[in-house]
Amino acid sequence: MAAVEAPGELLRVTIDDRQVEVAPGSLVWDACEKAGVYVPVYCAHKKLEPVAVCRMCLVEIEGMPKLQPACATRVSQGMQIRTATDQVRDFRRGNLEFLLLNHPLDCPVCDRGGECDLQDFTQRYGPGRTRSAITDKVHFDKAVRLSDRILLDQERCILCWRCVRYYEEVTGEREIVLQERGVHTLVDTFEHRELQSEFQGNLPEICPVGALTHAQYRFRARPWDLRRTASVCPKCSYGCNIFIDAREEQIARFASNDNPDVDDSWLCDRGRYSFPELNRTERVLNPEARLGGGRQPVAHSEALARAAGALLRVRGDHGAGAVGFLCSPQVTNEEGFLLQWLARQVVGSPHLDHRLEPLPELSPEQFRLGIAELEERDAVVVLGDAPERSAPVLTLRLFKTETKRRRRVLRVPLGTPAASLLEPLQGCRSVGVVAHQEQRSEAVALSRSLAGAGLSSSVLTLVEGMNARGCQDLGVSPAVLPGYQPAAEPGMHGRAILEAAAAGSIKALVLLSPDPEWERDPAFEAALSEVEALIVVTPWLGLASRQATVLFPGRTVAEKAGTVTSTEGRVQRVRTALQPRFPFPPDLRVLGELGGALGTPLGVQPLAGPVFSLIAEAVPPYRGTQGGLRADWGAPA
Amino acid sequence: MFRELLGGLRTTMRAMTTKPVTIQYPEEQRTVPPRHRGRHILHRYDNGLEKCIGCELCAGACPVGCIYVQAAENDPQHPVSPGERYAVRYEINLMRCIYCGYCAEACPTEAITLGPRLDLSDYKRERLVATKDDLLEAWPGFRPLSQGAGEGTGSPAPQPTPLGAGSEHRGPAGRAPGLNPPIPVRPDEGRGTPPV
Ligand code: SF4
Ligand code: SF4
Ligand code: SF4
Ligand code: SF4
Ligand code: FES
Repeated sequence: MAAVEAPGELLRVTIDDRQVEVAPGSLVWDACEKAGVYVPVYCAHKKLEPVAVCRMCLVEIEGMPKLQPACATRVSQGMQIRTATDQVRDFRRGNLEFLLLNHPLDCPVCDRGGECDLQDFTQRYGPGRTRSAITDKVHFDKAVRLSDRILLDQERCILCWRCVRYYEEVTGEREIVLQERGVHTLVDTFEHRELQSEFQGNLPEICPVGALTHAQYRFRARPWDLRRTASVCPKCSYGCNIFIDAREEQIARFASNDNPDVDDSWLCDRGRYSFPELNRTERVLNPEARLGGGRQPVAHSEALARAAGALLRVRGDHGAGAVGFLCSPQVTNEEGFLLQWLARQVVGSPHLDHRLEPLPELSPEQFRLGIAELEERDAVVVLGDAPERSAPVLTLRLFKTETKRRRRVLRVPLGTPAASLLEPLQGCRSVGVVAHQEQRSEAVALSRSLAGAGLSSSVLTLVEGMNARGCQDLGVSPAVLPGYQPAAEPGMHGRAILEAAAAGSIKALVLLSPDPEWERDPAFEAALSEVEALIVVTPWLGLASRQATVLFPGRTVAEKAGTVTSTEGRVQRVRTALQPRFPFPPDLRVLGELGGALGTPLGVQPLAGPVFSLIAEAVPPYRGTQGGLRADWGAPA
Repeated sequence: MFRELLGGLRTTMRAMTTKPVTIQYPEEQRTVPPRHRGRHILHRYDNGLEKCIGCELCAGACPVGCIYVQAAENDPQHPVSPGERYAVRYEINLMRCIYCGYCAEACPTEAITLGPRLDLSDYKRERLVATKDDLLEAWPGFRPLSQGAGEGTGSPAPQPTPLGAGSEHRGPAGRAPGLNPPIPVRPDEGRGTPPV
């Protein structure tokens, strides 16, 4: 044991006759995991520092007289660890007996039942029955409302401290504390204040039992009712990985799906609790077309023929420039790419955008810095509060960078000159600049000046909308073609298209998943009532679906398959978590078939896979990225 | 040849004089054994609160997956069941059920049991999906457990049948009340303890 190891040398340890090599400084728990030996834990958590309070993970280590906590003991060379001895078994049984002494065991009404570590470990290692004659358990309050999002059942708490440490180590907000002593210890907020955090939804996930639960998921389902689909959070461009848990084609909850490079297993409440809008049942359910006076449901093929007819007529009468194309950043890469193909190659119009406001000067330089790379920079400069308002989970990454990685994080107001940053950045060699997309030019300029001062510097801008980055990469923007090639003749941006439509120079509009927010915009309303032909693919009822000349039922992000690109340029898959309530083809197919009906066949099946190959051909950085890699846009010019 | 003919006739004559084994079903019902596993019953406590707490353990235990439960939170002013949770929707697909009784076994509150009702046929498939209204004991006016026919035999009491007057269920067994007289349950004759 006393052998002195050279730093970086792997340590050889034996766990139940299995040999593994682990890095120095690893925990016995990590070594067990590497050896494939399961050790039950309550208080330990991969993202939190060890405290070793629950004593569930005790194992036998040769040379140590007492059992040691696997979650807090570091390995040493030649360590002999045993997890299956009678002593360990006895101890686990006794520990569980103590935990259950005052536990209410109301599993049948507990939201955690079916996925609870206390149930599982009792089943696996527990005594099955109690020996104590206590009939009157210690009781605490049940269903305490900590906020409108989180409920706490104080009786079910096993005092693992995870929630307390989460608030201390991950968000830094310290809203939950342990109070009282001994058998009366309970978890509560400080002075019964309501939780304020933007990240409360992570609490029920880290709680190993049913003490902290989601108000929104209360009594919604049992784990065996749920169908789990890995996807991406649709609420912002940060690209947090989620599981969509659905029961009967309704989303019951979003759960986090740890991706250490993006979300580090935390979600913000805005994203986590955003799914009710995807469960709405007032939807466009049929292809419809305006025939004679009113609009009627028609067959999909007829809707296609009518849409193609209308576009051909407008192009014949007024030229290709009289057709405008708009989508929201909620479309997938494949859909965005086909929309831009439809506009530029099929119809021949340059008027195409994924948002209303203009967005000049786009370049891959604006997101060369990755989210996980923030932790590796000596310092991070955040311009204003817009980045963290746009993507709240960024706050947790910055907090980790600052506290766990001990880097400098400077939050500076907009317009801070580079010169005034040089002093606080004294001694740093690399710096990351984080800004909202609206400040992209300022951020790039700041980064260049810092680079001029000898620092290695790069930028991460945060875009607005789930797949805004993908839309920009793939040229769903009037001034750039796919891959940020400048367009020979730039078209009009979103608002200009609407104004031209209202003024009569744009005669036909194609809307793909229009943003419901646009309906509040008078320009949108004016444009929609003026255009001759309005072709709409949307899931939602509203102004666009009412005014459409040809309407296709669209799919929500939970109902389609494809890829989306996060703000750092990471291409991630969204998968079909729900089946729509109508039997009509997905948006991607509508776009592909519309091209065919207009006389330019796509050449491949209009499915996510084949269309992605087209994308990879047109935009080489996208090659091979669809498994969740960042597109590599090459070294800065 | 005559001999065979007479032999056949004798059999016929004998059958004419014996008591028939058939009954005038459905006006008449056969007596079922006390532990008969027929259509399910959702029970109430004596104060009328539902025993079911919507925990879905029955649905989890069911080998064919024919139970659907949707739980909800009790309104403390007007609780449906004791405690925090109750079942807003409770449905059993009687066509798929194999009447194994695992659901009753799994239930932590003894809310569900299998009852005497065995005539499960209908002209419409949809009506063979029994809803909570179909399965729940009627209230008021149900026969509490303590007055059950098997009282005092030392074995689980036979199910009080909810099919008497005041029962308001529609669905499989509930239509045309005249045709569905209560099913008599044979008193438990010491069959309470299963053979080891
Ligand atoms: S926390 Fe676990 S063991 Fe406790 S009541 Fe809930 S499901 Fe049962
Ligand atoms: S509430 Fe949950 S996470 Fe917090 S200490 Fe209790 S058991 Fe642990
Ligand atoms: S009797 Fe068996 S098959 Fe029928 S509902 Fe109960 S568990 Fe399912
Ligand atoms: S019948 Fe019993 S097992 Fe089924 S949901 Fe109700 S209480 Fe739970
Ligand atoms: S997990 Fe090791 S002591 Fe709690």
